[in-house]
Amino acid sequence: MAKVGEPFDISYVFEYLVKLLPTLKITLLIVVSSIVIGLGVGFIVALPQLYKIPVLRRFSQVYLSFFRGTPVLIQLFLFYYGLPEILKLVHVDVVKVPALYFVILTYALHSGAYMAEMIRAAVGAVDRGQVEAAYAVGMTGFQAFTRIVLPQAMAISVPVFANLVIANLKDTSLAFSLGIMELTGKSQTLAVMSRHFVETYISLAIIYFMISFGLEKLFHLIERKLLKHESRIVSEEKETRVKKAKTRRFAVGLGFTRGGRENEA
Amino acid sequence: MKLDFAFIWTAFLQLLTAVPTALAITAVSVFCGLLIGTAVAVIRLYKVPILHPIAASYVTFIRGTPMLTHLLLIYFGLPILVDAIAEAFGLSFRSVSIPMIGFAYVSFSITAGAYMSEVVRSGLLAVNRGQIEAAYAIGMTTSQAMRRIVLPQAFAASLPNLSNSVIGMLHGSTLAFTVSVVEINAKAQIVATTNWKFFEAYLAAAIIFWAITFMIERLTALAEKRFNLYNRGGVS
Repeated sequence: MAKVGEPFDISYVFEYLVKLLPTLKITLLIVVSSIVIGLGVGFIVALPQLYKIPVLRRFSQVYLSFFRGTPVLIQLFLFYYGLPEILKLVHVDVVKVPALYFVILTYALHSGAYMAEMIRAAVGAVDRGQVEAAYAVGMTGFQAFTRIVLPQAMAISVPVFANLVIANLKDTSLAFSLGIMELTGKSQTLAVMSRHFVETYISLAIIYFMISFGLEKLFHLIERKLLKHESRIVSEEKETRVKKAKTRRFAVGLGFTRGGRENEA
Repeated sequence: MKLDFAFIWTAFLQLLTAVPTALAITAVSVFCGLLIGTAVAVIRLYKVPILHPIAASYVTFIRGTPMLTHLLLIYFGLPILVDAIAEAFGLSFRSVSIPMIGFAYVSFSITAGAYMSEVVRSGLLAVNRGQIEAAYAIGMTTSQAMRRIVLPQAFAASLPNLSNSVIGMLHGSTLAFTVSVVEINAKAQIVATTNWKFFEAYLAAAIIFWAITFMIERLTALAEKRFNLYNRGGVS
């Protein structure tokens, strides 16, 4: 990468923004498909841990440890170069498969590890007594799960899920290293061709920012919708309680003027 | 295909030479990130006028964009800025003399700063305000209360988050290959292309990262035990 660029001109930022937008769909394709597959993988990995299945539990522990203990960039290369060779042993030829599929697979397995943790935490957070109560009113195990545990576990895990999706979106910027023409890959060719490096990367950053900002707002909305079952009076009370706790904990004591900031916020 | 175990070992040994670079990037970015993060967290907690909205938008922007874009922006943007400043003040310093790894240090520190500010913030918020009042009540000054009462507890409370951020920065250091810094990933690429054994080289790289991450996790667990000693609960 030669660093002699054209002089900075802010007007190019918008122009490149428009030029980058078409590649957004590849980025989103990677995000959506890897999140969907990742959820499935997460469930499969979380189950042995939730039900404490002896040998499988070890396997899922190693899986989690590996995918959380190595950078996603290394995983990308590892799967891209390693998987065809391993599959060759069982006489499956994947040489002609486009790199995009390897990218999606890697991100799916990577986010699957985090999804498993999320699922484990969410299911653990639902009180066991509620399942027993469901049995007491005559529900079957399946009914108790779908009607009682799942809705609550979903509401609990929405903030974590939102973080995972946004992290996944940001990680997709690494797919350019395998030659995928998503946002970052496209921006690099654009920058090298036009020699307006800074302007291109500013518009790249703006696109990423807008998507993650939008996702954050969207998930916030979903969370509020899912938490509707906590009746309004309770949730209002809870909110003020949280606010109170926050101000009680901090706002006063550490002021530059000792104390005396009681009325703030 | 046959997995060449002997080559994994040679690659492993060769990759070990790149480990200090990766650790240096991690250490510098975590250290500078902690400084920036503490400043930002304090600004946001005290709601310092003017600086407060700037700090808030810094954190939102950095957390909403990939680390790679920060690196690219710094790599191409910083030289323009530095040269303009140097020209305006008639200095002889030019951006050409900035080493490649310098860009990685600057950009990753900015990235880490935003994430660390959240770590520091949640740590400070975890300390009950009543404790500070108690410290004032027995006659401590604000700095004494901070140093002796708040910070030790805040540190203990934020250790798990801190370790996650350190691991995140370690894994992020692989991005430095885009600005031609030879860290573990770049080294793996070099080793792989010269011997045409990609899978083995990246396997070795993965093992190294896995081992370092594992060590960081162990160390954190030990530190957590030590720093949470005061927090035994119960009656004795």
